Amino acid sequence: MNVELTDLTRRFGRTRAVDGVSLQAGPGVFGLLGPNGAGKTSLLRMMATVLRPNSGRMRLLGRDPGDYAPRREIRRRLGYLPQNLGYYPGFTVAEFVEYFALLKDMPPGQVPRAVAAAIESVGLGDNARAKLRTLSGGMLRRAGIAQAIVNSPELLLLDEPTAGLDPEQRVAFRALLRDLSQRATVVVSTHLVEDVGAVCTAVALMNSGKIVFNGTPAELTARGEGSDAVGDAPLERGYGAVLAAARSLTQVRS
Amino acid sequence: MTAATAAPVRPAPVRWVRSAPLSFLLLLRMELRRNPMPLILPLIAVLFWFDAYRPSTATQPFWMMRTFWNMGQGHTIIDFGPFVAGMAAWIGSRDGRRGIADLASTMVRPRWTAHLATWAATAIWAAAAYLVLVGVMFGVYAFQGVHGQPPWWWVAVGVMAVTAFSAAGFAAGVLWPNRFAAPLAAFGGFLAMMLSSQTGFRSHAGWALILPTNSNGNYNQQDTGIFYPYLPDLPIARIIFLAGILAVFLGVLGLPVHAGGRRLRAAATLITVVGLAAVSTAVGLVRTAQLSPRGTVIAALHDAASDRPIAYTPVCGLSAQTPVCLNPAYGSYLSDVTAALTPVLAEVADLPGAPVRGTQIADDAVGTLTISGSPPVLAMPLGAIPYLPGSTGFGYSTTEKQFADILREQFLHAFVTSAGPQTPAQQAVEAALLQRAGIPFADQPKLEAIAEPGPAPEKATATGPVYDAAQRLLALPPTAQQAWLTAHVADVRSGVITLAQMP
Repeated sequence: MNVELTDLTRRFGRTRAVDGVSLQAGPGVFGLLGPNGAGKTSLLRMMATVLRPNSGRMRLLGRDPGDYAPRREIRRRLGYLPQNLGYYPGFTVAEFVEYFALLKDMPPGQVPRAVAAAIESVGLGDNARAKLRTLSGGMLRRAGIAQAIVNSPELLLLDEPTAGLDPEQRVAFRALLRDLSQRATVVVSTHLVEDVGAVCTAVALMNSGKIVFNGTPAELTARGEGSDAVGDAPLERGYGAVLAAARSLTQVRS
Repeated sequence: MTAATAAPVRPAPVRWVRSAPLSFLLLLRMELRRNPMPLILPLIAVLFWFDAYRPSTATQPFWMMRTFWNMGQGHTIIDFGPFVAGMAAWIGSRDGRRGIADLASTMVRPRWTAHLATWAATAIWAAAAYLVLVGVMFGVYAFQGVHGQPPWWWVAVGVMAVTAFSAAGFAAGVLWPNRFAAPLAAFGGFLAMMLSSQTGFRSHAGWALILPTNSNGNYNQQDTGIFYPYLPDLPIARIIFLAGILAVFLGVLGLPVHAGGRRLRAAATLITVVGLAAVSTAVGLVRTAQLSPRGTVIAALHDAASDRPIAYTPVCGLSAQTPVCLNPAYGSYLSDVTAALTPVLAEVADLPGAPVRGTQIADDAVGTLTISGSPPVLAMPLGAIPYLPGSTGFGYSTTEKQFADILREQFLHAFVTSAGPQTPAQQAVEAALLQRAGIPFADQPKLEAIAEPGPAPEKATATGPVYDAAQRLLALPPTAQQAWLTAHVADVRSGVITLAQMP
């Protein structure tokens, strides 16, 4: 398994942002769903080696990120798109991607080709020399995705990757995810249930720092059948039903 | 809750070949291309022109004088420092301000490496701009025919100061990444410069000599770079001090846990400690500094080769048939000097002890004209004479007549005095000779106050027994005056003649 999380907890003060999460994921697209404040971003930041868990065990790509040398090896094989990624406005798209390719310790000789391929794959080939300050929000997001995939990562963590993308770009992005998932584990945190339905092979739903559902999109859809959960699509109804059940359980316990 | 996707983990790819230096250079190239430091350089250039260059143009055409204000008092550093610190802080806070810190912390290369590349680009821009502006200024001076040698050591101090400011500002930005980092770093740089200047004005010795805008210590005589090279002792100490500050700030960037691995942080700790040691060493060195007439000597750094005079071929002219030779740096003043000396040399030409030639010497401890040796030679430390003709800068200027009067007073003072304070008879004879050279009694007290080094003479007006004796001497017919002087000038000079023994 590329991702093995066991009883992972992360606290910020008194708040348990991630509360005893256990997950496993191999190659494929793994969707992470949940309402705002569910703990998705904190979980992703731990998997990206930004944050250290307060407790629990985490193995990424068969290595323990708690130690320096394995952490470096994980990072070498990691792609990460944060939720609110800023940009260096004076850099061009190509420079921005090249900058992170070099920081990811890619061999300098391979960088230009990898940068060109990454930019091309997110559809920014014609804007490679454009300064980031001149790009739209959707284009910036795609530049962010390009930097995440430039090193052909084995573990790709994408936090709200389709935010700001227009429908056409989202379709293209899903195709890209399918392609990337042939050789990597892609973890996508999103609010957009239809993205999950379109590309994810597995999905987990978080609420209040806990995993309240873990299965396939079809299983999530099935949870919505016969329930009175609202939603335009079957998957959305499944999402609503699981969430409603989790909330009522929390109320009963409290 | 546990679940798993089914596909197996694929084997790890072949390990990449590491090429850290090349990657660093590529990062540096990118940072150099996109560094915002050039945006602020036009502002610095304007300030530099107004504050560093313009006030210097009115000074006498010697490198030491032209660069006293901008290099000696460190105005080039003052003009650069706060802006460089502010912009470096802005650049250093980039990741924090723009929300890239999370992503940057997931990179393989240590954060310290990325920071060093960004800082290096910032420092290169700042130092290059400093060198260009100073280079242009020096080029203008050279074009204007400024004499002597440029103060290269002080340029090195300036470059190091600008680099240290960039490191300090950058570290502030990295460690405190918000929008206030830049203005606060700039204000901090400005405050540091002001404190450095104010402390520097008051401190001629001790630890304060290490401050880069303290002009005391090396720029203490006009003939530096003309007769003797600039002593590098103090600049070397200041470079050690500034390099130490630079190392401390760069080292501190590598200390936080997220900056890199254990080895790298150990290296950062070592660099910080070495930097602190360098700062302490430099301060310790300047505390041992001795102020010599040719600059600050720090025994541990002093090279005897720096004491060797600069070889030159003098330029000479005749003044009342007496050869007068000057350092070629002072060649433009030769006609003023010969014209000033002509009446007084002519006056004493036939008297015992009259100099057979005049030679310029370096401005040293004496600080005034002297006549000594056998045959007697007039030694002229022109660099010490207050106010060479022309503008002296900062609103002062001297006419050729004022210069001539000062030179004549100093010459006749030297002619009638062998050593020590003047006796009343020596004062009387000097007053009489000055009157004969065209400087009336009434002007003499004020002239002596300007011309003679040390505290002004007590006499405020040309009255009293000294001037009465001078009047009596001048009342004699010219031939009688000459005869009395010929007979008694040696005794006057040795101090054995009293006012009562004068005619």
